[in-house]
Amino acid sequence: MNNKQKILIVEDEQSIINFVTAVLTVNGYDVIQAKTGAQAQSMATSHCPDLILLDLGLPDMDGLDVIRFIRGWTRLPIIVVSARTQERDKVEALDLGADDYITKPFGTSELLARIRTALRHASTANAATPAEAAVFQVGDLTIDYERRRIVVRGNEVHLTQNEFKIVSLLSRHAGKVLTHDFIIKEIWGPGLKGDNQILRVNMANIRRKIEKNPGAPEYILTEVGVGYRMAEGDS
Amino acid sequence: MSKKKNNLFGNIQLTISKRDTLITVVIFVATCLLCFLLNPISDSDNFLNMLFLMAVFLISRFTDGYFYGLVSSVLSVICVNYIFTYPYFAFNFTLSGYPLTFICMLTTSFITSMMTTQLKKSEKIKAEISAEKLRSNLLRAVSHDLRTPLTSISGVIQTVIENQDTLTASEQASLLSEAKDDAQWLIRVVENLLSITKITSSPAEIKKTPEAAEEVIGEAASKFVRRFPNIKLTVSVPDELLFIPMDPLLIEQVLENLMENSVLHGKTTSHIEISVQRLGNYAVFSVKDDGIGISDEVKPHLFDGRASGHSSSEYADSKKNMGIGLSVCMSIVRAHGGEMTASDLPSGGADFHFTLPLEENKSYEQ
Repeated sequence: MNNKQKILIVEDEQSIINFVTAVLTVNGYDVIQAKTGAQAQSMATSHCPDLILLDLGLPDMDGLDVIRFIRGWTRLPIIVVSARTQERDKVEALDLGADDYITKPFGTSELLARIRTALRHASTANAATPAEAAVFQVGDLTIDYERRRIVVRGNEVHLTQNEFKIVSLLSRHAGKVLTHDFIIKEIWGPGLKGDNQILRVNMANIRRKIEKNPGAPEYILTEVGVGYRMAEGDS
Repeated sequence: MSKKKNNLFGNIQLTISKRDTLITVVIFVATCLLCFLLNPISDSDNFLNMLFLMAVFLISRFTDGYFYGLVSSVLSVICVNYIFTYPYFAFNFTLSGYPLTFICMLTTSFITSMMTTQLKKSEKIKAEISAEKLRSNLLRAVSHDLRTPLTSISGVIQTVIENQDTLTASEQASLLSEAKDDAQWLIRVVENLLSITKITSSPAEIKKTPEAAEEVIGEAASKFVRRFPNIKLTVSVPDELLFIPMDPLLIEQVLENLMENSVLHGKTTSHIEISVQRLGNYAVFSVKDDGIGISDEVKPHLFDGRASGHSSSEYADSKKNMGIGLSVCMSIVRAHGGEMTASDLPSGGADFHFTLPLEENKSYEQ
């Protein structure tokens, strides 16, 4: 019986394919490879991988189009691999529905961590939505969604309604980066798109309430130029 | 002035400026006043021509191009003729020596303007030469930065491949981890190079957005902690949320470079303090360490990319020299309209700090 999870690597550089394949195989994943966007689309439909590792710089088509194509019919997790010169593509890829990103050059442990997180989110999302966990816990931070209570290091903290919404949104996607635009749309609706400052002001207030040192946050991490990421829960 | 033509009319068209007009008017009015004052107490009017000649000379010297010099020489001739020589307040073009005066003034202004323009040109050339020098220094630092780790990486890998049977597993592991460190160093160098091209190709086009200072400093800090888990890092940010217009990735890189520099060159560094605070219209970022401080030898060249190639054996031999890191920091900070300085702390250790202007700062209610 083969119950290994299958990962599709979409990448045109053979040396990177080799190294990533080696790392993933050693860590117990099945790996299939595509070197072009067209190949990626056909392999995604025919092989039903559990996750796609997608390089944005493809020879034949825009990586963003591959995401659009795949999101047209499935929620299967996509991790985008971007180079430093593709800052804006990265954010756009996330807004199009990519689950996470990793920047070249990346370390193997970082890659594996991102893959594990994305796969876990996919499996909980697919589990026929049993009542979502009522409580989220990471380190000394506990969020009780039903009672709208947040306890940090034993003390209850009082957040405004929007602040609580932001924290619970991030915690329900813990480990995953959420873009500024996505958070703003979820909290304030589509009208405020493009105004990051209101979010930043809220985030600064949240950090002053829940972090020991807002300059060195433990719970809500910043991804400069992209968005925020809640540290992974201890479930 | 970019479309500067070499002909006279090109210059005349291109060089009307507020500043130059002011200079011309001030000098001219002062000369006229002086003449008025001197006129009653002097019998001869020889000084008139001299004074106006001087005025023309000064105007030509301190303004750009030929325009103001020529205008003032024509005005001077008219003034001398109309106001200060008999018949007063009337033109008399038959006055003896008038054409001569006119030609003298015109020639003076022309030659002075020419000399000034040339002087300015040569200053510009000098500046270009020094920029070129900076570039070549950077290139030298870069090739040094690249060559050394590349040599060690390819050497290590070759050694491991050729001696798989004779090297023990732990020997291989330690060799390879050295190669990994070098490769990571290379990655940093390349990132710095990318930033340089981003800045030098179009300094005006740095995309600045208002960013929360604490977020940028926080991310730089968390990356640093992941890379150097053995160094104690203290981060402090102000209670007030500071929005600073910047390219956040570039500033993050400055902070990372400075912290990395503290570790690699502080040598004994075990604790780094990184902070940001508001000082008037500026945000001041500071990176302090408890290492050995900055040696006097490298101080003058800290930010120009030459610190690495310095004759001091300690730095010349150092595999991980300061190289381009600090000069990149300086360029990034300057491109943001800030300044960067370094000093030794009284307690030993180094203190690098830089400022960023807080313009367009809006206050938000908490």
